[in-house]
Amino acid sequence: MSDKLLKIEDLVVHYITDDGVVEAVNGVNIGVDRGKTLGLVGETGAGKTTTALSIMRLIPHPPGKIVSGSIELEGTDLLSLKESRLEKIRGDVVSMIFQDPMTALNPVITVGDQIAEAIMIHQKVGQSKAAQKAREMLEIVGIPGNRAGEYPHQFSGGMKQRVVIAIALSCNPKLLIADEPTTALDVTIQAQVLELMKNLKDKFQMGMVLITHDLGVVAEVCDDVAIMYAGRIVEQGTLEEVFNTVKHPYTEGLFNSIPNIDDRRDKLKPIRGLMSDPYNLPKGCSFYDRCDYAMPVCETQKPPKIHFGETHFVECHLYQEQQDFKLNGGKE
Amino acid sequence: MSNKSEVIATENLIKTKKRSQGADVWRRLKKSPTAMIGLGIIILFLFMAVFAPMIADYDDEAIKMNIKERLQPPSSTHVFGTDEFGRDIFARIVWGTRISLFVGLISVSIALSIGGFLGAIAGYYGGRLDNAIMRVLDVLLAIPTILLAITIVAALGASVLNLMIAVGVSNIPGFARVVRAAVLSVKDEEFIEAARAIGANDFIIITRHVLPNSMAPIIVFATLKVASSIMGISSLSFIGLGVQPPTPEWGGMLASGRAYIRDYMYIVMFPGLAIVFAVLSLNLIGDGLRDALDPKLK
Amino acid sequence: MTRYILRRIFMMIPVMLGVTLLVFFIISLTPGDAASMILGQEATEESIQELREEMGLNDPTAVQYVRYMGGLFQGDMGRSYATGKTVSSEIAQRFPNTFVLTVSAIFLSVLISIPIGVVSATKQYSIFDNVGMIIALVGISMPSFWTGLLLIIAFSLTLGWFPSGGMEGFISLILPAFTLAIASTASITRTTRSSMLEVIRQDYINTAKAKGVSKNVVIRKHALKNALIPAITVIGLEFGILLGGAVLTETVFSWPGIGRLMVESIQRKDTPMVLGSVIVFALAFSVVNLIIDILYAFIDPRIKSNYS
Repeated sequence: MSDKLLKIEDLVVHYITDDGVVEAVNGVNIGVDRGKTLGLVGETGAGKTTTALSIMRLIPHPPGKIVSGSIELEGTDLLSLKESRLEKIRGDVVSMIFQDPMTALNPVITVGDQIAEAIMIHQKVGQSKAAQKAREMLEIVGIPGNRAGEYPHQFSGGMKQRVVIAIALSCNPKLLIADEPTTALDVTIQAQVLELMKNLKDKFQMGMVLITHDLGVVAEVCDDVAIMYAGRIVEQGTLEEVFNTVKHPYTEGLFNSIPNIDDRRDKLKPIRGLMSDPYNLPKGCSFYDRCDYAMPVCETQKPPKIHFGETHFVECHLYQEQQDFKLNGGKE
Repeated sequence: MSNKSEVIATENLIKTKKRSQGADVWRRLKKSPTAMIGLGIIILFLFMAVFAPMIADYDDEAIKMNIKERLQPPSSTHVFGTDEFGRDIFARIVWGTRISLFVGLISVSIALSIGGFLGAIAGYYGGRLDNAIMRVLDVLLAIPTILLAITIVAALGASVLNLMIAVGVSNIPGFARVVRAAVLSVKDEEFIEAARAIGANDFIIITRHVLPNSMAPIIVFATLKVASSIMGISSLSFIGLGVQPPTPEWGGMLASGRAYIRDYMYIVMFPGLAIVFAVLSLNLIGDGLRDALDPKLK
Repeated sequence: MTRYILRRIFMMIPVMLGVTLLVFFIISLTPGDAASMILGQEATEESIQELREEMGLNDPTAVQYVRYMGGLFQGDMGRSYATGKTVSSEIAQRFPNTFVLTVSAIFLSVLISIPIGVVSATKQYSIFDNVGMIIALVGISMPSFWTGLLLIIAFSLTLGWFPSGGMEGFISLILPAFTLAIASTASITRTTRSSMLEVIRQDYINTAKAKGVSKNVVIRKHALKNALIPAITVIGLEFGILLGGAVLTETVFSWPGIGRLMVESIQRKDTPMVLGSVIVFALAFSVVNLIIDILYAFIDPRIKSNYS
C-alpha cells in the first residue's frame, strides 16, 4: 500500500433529470497523500462539490448516480461498501465541511449536541462524556465551552463555521473535505477561519481536500493543486508546478482574473464566455469555445493527457506537437 | 373549503421568485399526466355546462316531476336513474354543472377583484394603510371560511346571488394576502424603479409592471380556490342555505336524496361523484401548475 | 416564555373584538322582526312594540352591539328566540360534543398523516408515494357530507357495524370522526411530505449524514423536528376547516353539537343562537391557533430565545 490516503480513478457522476443527463463529473483522477492538502480549483458548476460528495457517498440519488470509477480511502474501495459500513467511516475517518455555515447546522438542536452526536456514534462513549468532549472541541476552535447549550441562530456566521469545523474534527478524521469553507464569510473572518483550519490540519495530521475557486487560498494552504473544468481535471501538479509553470489556458485564465495589486496598470483579463452547457458537453475539448489558443483539432477531439515530470500534467492539444509550447500570458 | 395553508404555500411559491416563461410552464405542465387528466375532466365539465340545453331539456327532464318514474335505477333511458320526484339524475347533474361552475367562477372573481385590490394597495403602499388592511383581514381570517359564508347567507337569505356574495366575500382575505405577497416580492425590483424613474404613476406601475410579473402564483391560487368554492357552494346547498330546490345543484341533490339512501344509493352516488370530479380536476390542475412554476419542489 | 404566551393572548383580544363586531353586524342584516317572531301570529301591534322596546331592538345597531358585548363579558349571550333558554346554557350543553368530535378527528388525522407524509417524502416517486399522493388529493376533493353518506351506506346500512347517527356512546363517534378526519388527513399528509422534502434537501441534513448518523436517525431526529414546524401550522389551520366541516358532519350524522345547533337556529331564524354559535366557533379557532403558536415556541428555539 502506498502512502496515498485517497485515490480517485476515472470517476464519472451523472445527474439524470427530466430535462436530460447532466455529466457533472467525467473521469476525474485525483489523489491525496497522508497529511497533505490538495486544492481542487474551478468555477461554479465545474463538478467540485459533486466530486466531494462522491467521496462521502452522499450524492443525492436520484437524480445523481456514480456511473463508474473507483474511490479508494486507505486502500478500501468506498464505492463497493454497504451503507452501514459507510456510516462507520463518515465522520470518523473522513469528514466534510460544507460551503454555507448559515445552513449547515440544524436550527433546532444545540451546537453542543450536534458536536457530541458524532462523538457518541463513533467513540462509543456516554452522553456526559461526549458532551464534555464537545465542549473541548468548541474551545479548540476558539469558542467558549459554556456556549455548548446554545442554538445555531445565536452564533455569527464565522462562529457557525467554527462549530461546523468542530463537528468535522470531533473524531479526529484522517481526511477532511472542505467545500469552499470560507466563501460565505466576511473577508476578515475568512482569514481567521483559514488560519484555524491550517493549524488544526497540522495539529491533527489530517489529509485535506480543499475545494475553492480562490487561488489565493490555494497558495496559502495547499501542497498540490488540481484545476477542474466541466467535470474533468484539466491540470494538476504540486503548488509550485502549477503556480510557476502554468500549462493549461484555463489555468492561465484563472490567474489573469485575479487583480494584481503590485501593478495597477495591469489590466484584468477575465475568461470570456460561460462554461459549456452541462446537458450538452462539446465533442472535443470542453474549453474550446472560450480558449484563446483554440485550434481546429480542439473542436473535434478530446485533448490528450500530457505529463511534465512525475506529478504535473495537463489535458490540452497545445502540447501534443510541441512539448515546450509556451502560453503567452494572455497578452496579444 | 378555505385553506390558509394554500395561502401560505402560494406565498412561499412567490418567495422563491422563480418566474418561468409561459411556454416553459406549459411544456412542464404537459409532462404531468395528472394535470392533463385534470384538464381533460374540467374541459368535459365546461362542455357540459355550455351545451347543457342540447344534452338534456331543462324543464322536461331536470325540473318537471314525474311520479310514475320515480326512484328508477340506472337504465338506458335514465343512465344515472331518477330521483324521488322521477326527474332524470343525469339531466340534473348536467344542469347542475352550470350552477356550480358559474357560481364558483363568479365568487372567485369577486374575491380576486376585491381581495386583489386590497392586497395590491396594501403591498404597494405599505405602512399604515398596509397595517390597517391586514388587521381587518386578520379578523376575517379568524372565522373559518365556510362558517363566515354560512353566517352571511344566514343573514342575507338563501339565493344564488347571496351564495356568490357569501363565498366571494369569505375568500377575500386569502386573495388579499396572496396578491400582497406577490406585490411585495416584485415592488423593489429594478424594473419597477426604472418605470418610476421614467415617470409612470402608481396605477400604471401596479397594473402594467407589478401584477403581470406576479401573475403565476395568483393563477395557481385562483384555480385551487375555484375548486374549494365549488365544494363550498354544494356544502351550503346541502344544509339548505345555497341554491334552492327545484333548481338542480349537486349539493342540494344530495340533501334531498339523503332520505332514500337505504334502498336507492345511486341517488347520492352520482351527484357526489360530480362534485369529486369537478373539485379533483381543478386541484390536479392547480397542483400541476404549482409544480410547473416551481420545478425544484415537486 | 410566559412573556411570549401573554403577548399572544394580548394580540388575540382586538381580533376577537373585531370578530364579534363583524358577526354582529352581518347578523343584524337579517330581515324580519324578532319581536313578532317571538310573540307569534296573534300578537297585537302594541305588544310587539312593547317587546321591541324591552329588548332594545329600537336602539341603533351600535348601541345594541355595546349592550351585547356588555353581556358577553359576563357570559350572557341573550336568549333563544325559539326556546327561550339562554344561549350560553344551550351552547355549554352542546360544546362538549363538538369538542369531542373535532378533537378525535384531528387526533386521528395527525396519527395517520404524519407517518405517511414522512414515508412518502423519504421514498419520493415510489409507488407508495405516488399512490399515496393521489389518494390524498382525492381525499381533499371529497365533500365531507358525501363521504359521510357513503360511510353510512357501507358501514351502517349494509354492514350494520355502526349506528347511522345520533350520539350513544363511543361507537357512534367513529363514523363522524372518520368522515371529518378525511380531508384534514389528506391535507396534513401533503404538507408533511412537502416540508419533509424541503428539509431533507437542507445542508444540515448532509452535515448529519457526513457525521455518520444513520438514515433512520437522520429522519427521526434531524429532519422530522424541522419538518414539523410547517406541519403544525397546517394542523392549526386544518382545525379551522374542521370546525367548519363539523357543521356538515354533525348535520349528516345528527350529532348534537354546535354545528347542528347553528344550522337549526338559522332555519328557525333564531339570531341570538346563530350569533352565539359563530362567536364560539371563532373563539375556539383562535384558541387553537394560540395553542399552535405556543407549541411552535417549544419546537423552534429561534422563537423561544426571542422572548426569553
